[in-house]
Order: sequence, then structure tokens, then C-alpha cells
Amino acid sequence: MTSHVALMALFSLFVSVVFATLMRDEPRDQALFGLRLFGGFMAAGIVIGWLLYPLPL
Amino acid sequence: MRADAADRVEPATNKYLIAVLAWAIPGAGHLLLGRRQKGVTFLITLTLMFAAGLWLEGRIFPLGFDLTQPLVGLAAIADLGIGIPYFVAKFMGHGAGQVTAITYEYGNAFAIVAGLLNMLVVLDAWDIAEGRK
Repeated sequence: MTSHVALMALFSLFVSVVFATLMRDEPRDQALFGLRLFGGFMAAGIVIGWLLYPLPL
Repeated sequence: MRADAADRVEPATNKYLIAVLAWAIPGAGHLLLGRRQKGVTFLITLTLMFAAGLWLEGRIFPLGFDLTQPLVGLAAIADLGIGIPYFVAKFMGHGAGQVTAITYEYGNAFAIVAGLLNMLVVLDAWDIAEGRK
């Protein structure tokens, strides 16, 4: 697997699951918080990616 | 004979034992403390994340602090945070790190972050054992 987006999604999934499990006790709260975290990671990654797009790297 | 406060032996060693086990096996601390769902989640997620790092050709950084390469030492400490899987992977010859692989840096990030997350899990288990949570 060499897709940047897929690897970012996999990384976000792992981190979201661990943080949600750490910070919430009820499974329903964990699921909701985990989904919000995952969405936040993905959105932030895509937004930052587009902001960096014009830079000559 | 009634035992006064000074005679009471607190199970302080349990906290340390739980912390060591929580470090060695991701999620073991929570399992020992009766938090089965959290323990199983940590065990599966952190082990998979570390394994994904190896699968992506990441490197398991060697212990031993070289002052000329301080970041390697810090990465090794972070890798070591995952506990026994670190040594199992080394023993099985994984984690050599393929620098030319396109996923090399991703693999490093997965393995390092898995170790760091397990350190957070150890702290959480410690807080539970202390009665703070």
C-alpha cells in the first residue's frame, strides 16, 4: 500500500481508536468521539495538504 | 489485635506490577484492572499499529544513545514504549528498515507513535490503579 491518503486514514484510524478508548468510558461515547477524531484528522490532513500545495517543496 | 494505619500494607507493589505489565503487553494493565473492553482494544490496536509499521518497512531504532544522532535515540525510546513486541520483532529479524522503500518514513511513524501511545496507556492504567479514575 503506497497511497498517502490510505496510509493517513489508517494512521488516523489507529490513533482515533486509542484516544477515544482512553478518553471515554462508554462504548457509545467512544464510538462518537472516535468518529469525530477520525474526521478531524482526515479533514485537517486534506486542508493542510491543499495549503501546502503551492509551496515549492 | 487491631491493625492501625501504620500496620496496613497498601498494595503499592501492584501499581508498579500493573505499570510494568501494561508496558510489556499493550492493554494488559487495563485487563488486570478489570477494564476488559479497553484492554482488548489497546491490545489489538497498538499491536496492529506496530506491526503495520514493520510491514511498511519501518525501522526499529537501536538502543544506545549516540550523541551525534540524538533523534535516533529518541526514536528508539519511543519504539521501546510498545514493550515486548519491540523485542519479539527484533528477535524475528524484523524492523531492519528499508530506507529506499517509499513507505519507510510512514513505517517509522506508525511504530514510533504506537510506542508513544502505549506509554499513554501505561499512564492511564497507573491512574486507574491509583484510584484516580
